[in-house]
Parts: sequence; structure tokens; C-alpha cells
Amino acid sequence: MTAILEIKHVSKFFGGLSANSDVSFDVEPGSITGLIGPNGAGKTTLFNCITGYYPPSKGDILFKGERMNGRQPDQVCRLGMARTWQKVRPLAKMTVVDNVMVGALLRTHSLRVAREVAMERLEVVKLADKAGALAGGLPIGERKKLEVARVLATRPELLLLDEVMGGLNPAESEEIILLILELKRLGLTQVVIEHDMKAIMRMSDRIVVLNSGEKLAEGTPQEVAHDPEVVAAYLGEAVHA
Amino acid sequence: MRAPPVALRRPARGFSTPALLAYLTVIALLALVPQLTHKPSLLHLWIMVFLAISQGAAWNVIGGYTGQYSVGHAAYFGLGAYITMLLLEMHQVPPWYGLGLAMVGAVLLSVIIGAITFRLRGPYFVLASIAVAEIIRLAALDFRDFTRGAEGILLSGIPPLQLGAHLTIRFVGKQPFFYAALALAVLAVSSNWVVQHTKLGYYFQAIREDQDAAHSLGINPTLHKSIALAISAALTAAAGAIFGLYVRFIDPNIVFSLPDVSVQMVLICIIGGIGTILGPVLGAVVLVLLSETLRNPGWLVQVGVLGEDSTLVDFIEQRLSSAHVLVYGVLVVIVILFAPDGLLGVLRKGLDRLRRRPGASAAPRAAA
Repeated sequence: MTAILEIKHVSKFFGGLSANSDVSFDVEPGSITGLIGPNGAGKTTLFNCITGYYPPSKGDILFKGERMNGRQPDQVCRLGMARTWQKVRPLAKMTVVDNVMVGALLRTHSLRVAREVAMERLEVVKLADKAGALAGGLPIGERKKLEVARVLATRPELLLLDEVMGGLNPAESEEIILLILELKRLGLTQVVIEHDMKAIMRMSDRIVVLNSGEKLAEGTPQEVAHDPEVVAAYLGEAVHA
Repeated sequence: MRAPPVALRRPARGFSTPALLAYLTVIALLALVPQLTHKPSLLHLWIMVFLAISQGAAWNVIGGYTGQYSVGHAAYFGLGAYITMLLLEMHQVPPWYGLGLAMVGAVLLSVIIGAITFRLRGPYFVLASIAVAEIIRLAALDFRDFTRGAEGILLSGIPPLQLGAHLTIRFVGKQPFFYAALALAVLAVSSNWVVQHTKLGYYFQAIREDQDAAHSLGINPTLHKSIALAISAALTAAAGAIFGLYVRFIDPNIVFSLPDVSVQMVLICIIGGIGTILGPVLGAVVLVLLSETLRNPGWLVQVGVLGEDSTLVDFIEQRLSSAHVLVYGVLVVIVILFAPDGLLGVLRKGLDRLRRRPGASAAPRAAA
């Protein structure tokens, strides 16, 4: 099967600092790819390169075989690749349903259709009862869900989730894990950045490990967990703890 | 202060019939005003209010809904006035064509200004918008061959407008300008309604709330900011054109004025309520009454609010009229401190409190 997303030798430099250097991996359709690494490993930078916020300094990003380099974030989203933000970005003075409608309006001009799609997505993330509330007033757990509902409303084929579980309590994290697995069952391809090792091991079909901007390892959760380099560089402390 | 968990604003839905009827009734009643009164000072006040509503609603599209606080809208106001007046005086182009050309000119100017200023965000955008407008004001002062500089343009007359075989509109007195300004105000307020109830408005507001998030949801921020600015500029230019034709004299320091045009347009929205349909209407009424009273308190006597020998009129004339910018400043400080959502926000809170009071006759509003 051909990959839906191909990262080919991608490097990103900020002045003399290299945030990503020569990163390559493929994402298979319908799979969940975990992207892990210590703080500053370049995970979010890679997301920003993939979704058009930064042009990569070197290398190519192919989505469904099409080159993404130099495309703007809105074009990337229109083509079916959507992302969430590590630091949630609710449209604070708009209601929850209006937030999700903004996403849905990418595929329709009708507010009525957009509202229907938005309510469906809110049902999926179990936030429909808060539809009329202002997004700025939601607690963090619900903001994360809103972020997912809004991005789902753009009808993506590939979803890039940047630490959607960060700052959540175990019960909320479990809800998000089940949501991600449910989305996988529905056929959505996902790339997930997460710090919670247990969660990432449980969800991912494959895991890519970044360290200091370079790809350290790639494989199934078992392979990665037993890779001596990964253990030394990143999982070491966790294993001995 | 934490945001309330439940939206104060109901989510935008289709236009309710009662609201539409109320809107049409108000317009119809306003259209009757010149038949009921012929006091020039009163008609003057209405014209200034309508123009201020138009300007406020125009600014609201880019500032209120899209969140780009332009403090340089005098550029479009002045351009509208100059295009219309110059075409009429130099080339005898009737002002109703001139007004259309002024709107087109403003849209073109907005594309250029947008290309320069939309790279910047927040306070940097504000400063750039001021700078560009000031450059245009100074250019209008300096290019004397073209604009007559500080000498200004004095209108010698407006040709009558022949509509069909029987109706001829002569631009004498205040009545024709009353209707022109009313029509523009209706257009501008309606444009705000359209913005708020279409995809365009959702996109504008998404950009206002978080441009990067909007971008990631498939919105092209530069394109949509440019659309918002173009709508805003066209309406502002139309207001400038009608203003020029009405007062019959313009110079760069009047129509390109930073405090009297650019800042005033922002104040109308801040005082009334930014990003709402009724906010600019409310703000315009308050600000025009205030500024006209400070400039020429005599109208209070003419209308009969104050007696002939009122000491208040003397006090305002002698002490306050030259300090109107100071009075604005104090008003803005009060509004920002005590009514950050503008007067409309205060009214809405008051109404909500009345509704929630135990024993109040009105049933609590059903959840949206």
C-alpha cells in the first residue's frame, strides 16, 4: 500500500540551529503513528513543516503523492491534512458550536449544513451539551475536545494531533485515547505527538522517535521500546523507574 | 475576570421576523422625520448621526468583526470626498457617479494599504495604518496642482438628479442629504448584518480570535482581511463623499483628519460595542450628540432642551468647545474601565439582570 504521508529527508534550520535534520518516515493510510521524543526534539517543528507553517529548509513532504513544500496552511487543510495545537487555540469569544462551524465551513457555504456537521462532531467528542457555551470559558479538558471536534469538521483524511492529552487527568486522557482509537476504526489516519508513553504504546501502530532533531528510531511499539539507542537516549529512565 | 460559561450572545441564526420588522419600522419612521420637522439644526444633527453610523458600521467590518484595529480610515473617507468633489468641480461628473467611482477607488486603495499593513499584527498594524493615512493626508496637502492643497475644494453647486420623467431631485437644503445619509446608514448596518450571518463573518471572527488557528482550519487570513477591508473602505468612502457634498467644502485637514475621522470611527465602535450590529448605531448617536453639543451648543436652545438664557450654553462655548478631544478621551477611559463591551454591553447586562430577577414577569429565556 502506498503511504498517505511521506517525509523525505526533511531538515529545518533556524539560523544556525537545526530543529529537524534529515528526518524521513512514511505514514500508512488508516494507521496511527506515534511521534515521540524528549522536549526540544523537534516534534512540533516537524508538524509545522508538514502543515505549511514553516517551509522545510531541505527535503520533501508528500501528501497523497503531492508535494506540500511551500503550500500555505489553509491549502494544506483544504487538501485534507489538518492539525491541532499543543497549546489549544479556542476562538474564545465565539460559542463552542460556532468554533466547530468555522472548521465545517471549509467544505460548505451553508451555515445550516455547517451547523449540522458541527453538532455531529460535537457528539463524537461528547461536547454537544456545551454547544451554546463560549469557548473561552471551557476547562482545559473540554478545550482539547473542542480542538479535536473543530479539526474533524474540516473532513480531514490525515489528522496531526499535537499533545491532545497534555494537561489532562487520567479519566480525560482515557476518553481521548478511546476517541483516537474510534477515529482509527472509522478509517482516519493519525499522527500523534504525545508524552504519555503508556498511551502512545497502546495506540500506535508505528512509532517514530526523534532526538535533537534527528530520527533516532522507527518501528512497532515493541521494537522501539527494546531499541537500545532509544532506551539509552529517552526511555532509559522510564524503564529503570 | 473569567468569561461566563454560557454565551451572552445567542449563536447567530437566521434572521428572526420580529427583528426584521422592527428594523424596517425604524427605517420607515426615520424616513418620515423631514416631513415632521423642518428645523435645519435638527436635520443637520440627523445627517451627522447617519454619517457617523455609516462610518462606525464600516469600521466595524474590519475592526469589530475581523479584529484589525485600523486607525487610518480617514484615508478612505478623504479619498471618497476628494474623488467625488474633484470629479464634480473639475470635470462636471455628477456626484452619484462620483460616489460610485469613489467607492471603487477606495477598494483599490484598500488593496494597496492591505498589502502593506496586513503583514503586521496587533499594535504594529495599528501604527502602520496611522502612518499610511498620515502620508496620504500630507500628500493631499502637498500635491496642490491636483488637490489644491490646504486651499481645499469649495463646491459651486450640485446638478439636479433626474429620475425618470417626473421626479427631479434638487440638492437644495438638508432634505436630500438626509435621505442620502439615511440610505448609506441602512446599507452599512445591513452589511454588518450580512457579515454576521454568513460564512464570511464566521471567517472574519475566526481571524479576529486567533489568526493562526483560523489559518490551520483552511482560512486564508490575508484574503479575508483584504475582503473585510475592501467592504469597510467602500462604505467609508461613500460616507466621505456624502459628507463633502453636504458641507460643500473639504480640505485635507478636515477629511483626512486623524482625530476627527480615523479616531472618531474607532471611538464610535468602542463606545457603542465592538463587533455588534447595534453597537455602532448606539455609539454614533452618543458621539455625535456629544461632539455637536461641544462644537455648537446652540442647537440645544433651538430644539428647546435649554432656555435662551441658559448658562450651560455659555459654559460649553467658552470652556469646553476647544477641548472636545479631551472630553472624548475621558469618555473612552470611562467606557474601557466600566463598560468594556460598550454601551450595548451595559444595556444587555441590564436586560439580563431584569429577566433573571426573581418574581419578574418575563419567563427566563430558554437555553439556545
